Amino acid sequence: MNLQDFLAMEESRERDELIDLRSLDLVSEYDSHLMCPICHCPFVEPVRLQCDHVFCGSCLSSAINSFRSADSDEFPCPSCRNPTQKVSASVPRLLINMCDEIRVLCPLITEGCQEIIPRGHVQSHVEKYCGYRLLPCPDNSCDQMTRSKDVGMDQKCIHKVRRCAHCKENVLEHEYEEHEKELCPVLEVTCADCETVVTRGALQEHIESCPEVAIPCAASKYACPVKIRRADIAAHEQSCPIVAMGPYFETQNARLKSLESSMRHLQQRNEIFEDGLANIRSTLFESTRLGANSHSGGQPPQSDREQQSSARVDAHTDDPADLAAGVFSSNATTYLLSLHESLREEVSQLSHAITDLDARASMAIMNECMRIKEDIAHTNAAVNSVRMQVQWLMNPRLHQGTRGGAVRPSSTESEGTRTNMASSVAGPSHATGQSLGPLRPRRPSDSGREGTKL
Amino acid sequence: MGSIKRISKELTELTESPPEGITVELADESNVYEWKVIMEGPESSPYYNGKFLVKLSLPTEYPFKPPTVSFATKIYHPNVTNDEKGSMCLGMLRADEWKPSSKIAAVLQFARQLLSEPMPDDAVEGRIAEQYKNDRGRYEEVAREWTRKHAC
Repeated sequence: MNLQDFLAMEESRERDELIDLRSLDLVSEYDSHLMCPICHCPFVEPVRLQCDHVFCGSCLSSAINSFRSADSDEFPCPSCRNPTQKVSASVPRLLINMCDEIRVLCPLITEGCQEIIPRGHVQSHVEKYCGYRLLPCPDNSCDQMTRSKDVGMDQKCIHKVRRCAHCKENVLEHEYEEHEKELCPVLEVTCADCETVVTRGALQEHIESCPEVAIPCAASKYACPVKIRRADIAAHEQSCPIVAMGPYFETQNARLKSLESSMRHLQQRNEIFEDGLANIRSTLFESTRLGANSHSGGQPPQSDREQQSSARVDAHTDDPADLAAGVFSSNATTYLLSLHESLREEVSQLSHAITDLDARASMAIMNECMRIKEDIAHTNAAVNSVRMQVQWLMNPRLHQGTRGGAVRPSSTESEGTRTNMASSVAGPSHATGQSLGPLRPRRPSDSGREGTKL
Repeated sequence: MGSIKRISKELTELTESPPEGITVELADESNVYEWKVIMEGPESSPYYNGKFLVKLSLPTEYPFKPPTVSFATKIYHPNVTNDEKGSMCLGMLRADEWKPSSKIAAVLQFARQLLSEPMPDDAVEGRIAEQYKNDRGRYEEVAREWTRKHAC
C-alpha cells in the first residue's frame, strides 16, 4: 500500500488496547534484531518497507509524518534513507512470533500480580485471567474499585462497612463473618478449665487467675513433680518439703556458681603458669646442653650437676609430699622429649632437602659439563682446522726457506712478525741441524702450534 | 511521549556500559532532554589528558530530529566554533543526514573520534582548519596549550 493508505490505516487503527506494549518490563533478553530502531523496543505490529527494513507501525507513521516533505509520495527510510513509496504490512510470521514470545511481567504488578507471561498474551491475560485487574464495584451505588479476584459469584459490594454489634468496630462487609466468629474481642468464650464464660478480650487475663487451671508447684525446678489446680496449689506448697528447702537450694546454687567461676579462673591461671614454666625449663635445658657441647672440657662438673639435679628429682619423687613437683618434672621431660623428637624430624627433613638439592645440583653440573665438553670438542676441531690451514699456508714458505736456507738471515726483516718469530726460532735450529734433513719440515709447524696455544 | 522512553533507555545503556572516555549524566534529573557529557581527550590527540564538558540537547521530536552537541569547555578545533556556544559540526547531526535509527552513543563516539581526526574540509573555524592542514605542529601546540588552560 502507498504512504497515504498506510497513514490512514494507522490513524484509523483502534487504540482500544489497555496496555502499552512498549512500557512493559521485559524479563528475558531478546535478540537485538527484534528491536525497532526508532523506539528501541521489540517490534509492535511491525511493517516492512521496500528496502526490507522493519519498524513498528506506529513508529513508522510518526517517522513519515516528520520526514516527508509536504504531500510527496516518497519518504526516506529511517534506517538507510532509501526513498520509499510503499509500506508492506506483510512481515514474516517468524518475526512476529519471536516478538510475541518475549517474556514480560504482568503490567498489574503494581496491584500485586507476579505473573510472567509471553508478550503476545499480555492483552488476554490482563483482560481475562489476571486476578488483580481493578473492576468497578458490582454495586452501582459504590464508586470504589475491586480486584477481579475479590468479586465473588454473588456480585456483592465488598466495600460496605458494617458495624459489629458487639464491639462497635467498623468492619468491611466481606470480612464481617470472620470477625464475628473469631476476631471480635467482645465475643464470649468459655474457659476450658473452669467453664466460666468470659469475653475473648479478657480470656488471657482469666487464664492467669483461673482457679481451675493446673499449674506446677513453685518448687518444680527442684524436681517436685506435682502439678495441680491453682486453688489447691497453696495447700500443697505449705506441705511440700521441697518448697521448704527452696531458699537453701537457692543459696547453694549461688555458691556453686561462684565457686565454679572462680575455679575456671584459677584453672586458666594455672595453665598460663605451666606454660611459662615449661618454656623456662626448655630454655634452661637447651642452654645447659649448648654449654655442655661447647665446653667439652667443662663437661665433668656439668654432668655432675646434672646427676645431682636428677638425684634431687629422684629424691623429690620419692618424697610423697612433693609428688606434684615430680609429676611436673615428668611433664617437662615429656615436653622436652617431644621437642627433641620434633627437632629430629626437622633435621631429617632438612637432610632430605639437602640430598635433594645435592642431586639437583650435581645433575645441573653434569648437564653443564656435557655442554662444556661439547664446546671444547668443537673448539678443538676448530683449532685443528686452523692449524691445518696454517700448516698449508706455511708449506710453500717452508719450502722456500729450505731452498734458500743460506740467504735466510738477511731476508727475515721483510717477513711478518709472527711467522718471522717462528722462522727465526726455526732459523737457528735448521742452521745448526742442517744435516737432519727429514726433521726440518716439522719444526716450523711445531712452533706454529706453540703460536696458536699462546 | 515515546521519545522519553527511548531517551531513558539510551541513558541507562550509556550509564551502565559507557563507551571509552565518555561519561554521561543528566544536567537536571527532572529533564531527560538535556545531557551533560564528560569527554576525555583521546590519547593520540593533542587534547589528551583534557576533560571536556559537552552539552547534548535532544529535541522533543527525538528520534525524528537530531540532537545538538556543543562544547561548554573551550577547545581549539577546526570543527568546533570558537565562541561561547562551542557548537560542533557533525555530519550525521545535520537534519537531512540524520536517521532515527542512529543512537546517542554513536553520536558521542563520533564526536570523540573527531577530536583525534578533525575534518578540515567540514570546518567551522576556517583559520584553524588552514593551520591544521598547513602547519600541523603549530596547531597541535596551540591545541595542547588550550587543553591545559581550559580543560585540565
